[in-house]
Amino acid sequence: MIIESFKHNMAAHCESGTLTALLKHKGLEIAEPMIFGLGSGLYFGYLSRTPNLNFPMFILRTKPGKLRKKISQRTDIKFNTKRFKSQDEAEQELDGLIAKGIPVACQVDFYYMDYIPQWERVHANIHFITIVGKEGDEYLVSDSYFPKLARIHKDNLRKARFAGGYLAPKGFRYYIESVPETVNYKKLIPVAIKNTINNMIGVQPPFIGVRGIRTFAKKLQAWPKLTRDVDHLSHEIMKINVFLEDQGTGGGGFRFLYATFLRQASEILQNKELEEMSKKMMEIGDGWRNISYFAAKIGKNRDLGPEKLQELGQMINERADAEEKFYKELKLVVNKIK
Amino acid sequence: MKEKEAYVDFEPQQLIMYVEKEDGTFGPIQTGSYISKNYLDDFWEKTIKLRNSLLEKLKKNEITAIYFYKTIHDFNDVELSRRTKIPVRKVKQHQKVDRFKTAKLADLQKYAYAFDIPVSNLLQAIVVEDNEKKADSDKSKQPIIVKQTRTENPFVVITKIELNK
Repeated sequence: MIIESFKHNMAAHCESGTLTALLKHKGLEIAEPMIFGLGSGLYFGYLSRTPNLNFPMFILRTKPGKLRKKISQRTDIKFNTKRFKSQDEAEQELDGLIAKGIPVACQVDFYYMDYIPQWERVHANIHFITIVGKEGDEYLVSDSYFPKLARIHKDNLRKARFAGGYLAPKGFRYYIESVPETVNYKKLIPVAIKNTINNMIGVQPPFIGVRGIRTFAKKLQAWPKLTRDVDHLSHEIMKINVFLEDQGTGGGGFRFLYATFLRQASEILQNKELEEMSKKMMEIGDGWRNISYFAAKIGKNRDLGPEKLQELGQMINERADAEEKFYKELKLVVNKIK
Repeated sequence: MKEKEAYVDFEPQQLIMYVEKEDGTFGPIQTGSYISKNYLDDFWEKTIKLRNSLLEKLKKNEITAIYFYKTIHDFNDVELSRRTKIPVRKVKQHQKVDRFKTAKLADLQKYAYAFDIPVSNLLQAIVVEDNEKKADSDKSKQPIIVKQTRTENPFVVITKIELNK
């Protein structure tokens, strides 16, 4: 069976895309950037000592699942969430929900999504998909990163839902029980923006927010010491491009998505200053995009001497300066909103 | 980012980008992946090089199959331990060539599950010489196909070698 009423759309990011699609299915018209902004999804963190990671990495959005939790706290949207110990129980419950016509979002290890090109698939327990049907031994999947509905064998879905390791999904699934008739955007937008400002320039550890961007620029210089050989270093440097552009960010490390949120917020609040801030955020995103192009180029050419890494670090530091200035200005703008 | 600068013609990997449109509004467009369009060959080159270098070490008994697949899947010891539920201490042991044999069959089964391969592949490497240069990058161009099908017996896999017609 397939839930015919569910409309599949690609989205910039899997978590906000899944959430947006489920809300639309339930009758609440809301755009992905608004979900991302209201959930205060924008973030920066440089993770150098996480025990499960082989290599330092940076993150550009809040912890997986936090976006939904924030939306849940800030609105009257009611979610039904569950984790499972038993794989059989998780599968039976999923089948039952689909039979009732309820599309279900599942947290999975991205590696097992075998409809995605092989070069994209890495082990990451932070991917969200929506199950919208089942035919024989295959589930029908709405994945924000795939242009059409896909199919996945039940064995693969089971592995993906119960992969162990860092942020193990443990069969996590959610669906939406009810949505409010309206969302009080005028009240929520300033709250959500202030939360993001705090994440980026508030009192945070040195590896978080704008300070985290500077830590990234500094620590990057030591990456050659952490790699096996020049190919490995090239791979890690080129992943900067993947994290900023390819891995579900909407481009510029989520900055374009956030700029669109600010633009939508400016229209709702009829606030010209927010509109100006949206333009500035778009420009900040362009700077991150330049970094991603530069990283891809020097990685491909194996042009990875200290001077090039310093140049890359300098570009990242410039983003930190631009973002610090931006959030301070945004703070003044949002504090004026009544 | 301006809309016209965002379009990349690469059908195999599509994604959504948010851009400034011609009329000044901000919104999404569907486009191709820039890095995959321009640098995928480099990715495959590095992948094949790494795999071949690890295979050579495996053949010389310098590393174990656990280390081989751990590196391919980009796991570290803690992550592999969590995925297999084998203690980190033992995961470290099983990567030493002189201690690999202390791994139980039940351990190998857990590793195989985490690496998404049949258990038997931890004790063999299937190499098709003619495929090597095209390994992974374009399976449709490989002259030989190796198909491994699981059976109801968790320790037995059927390996078929076929011509790619």
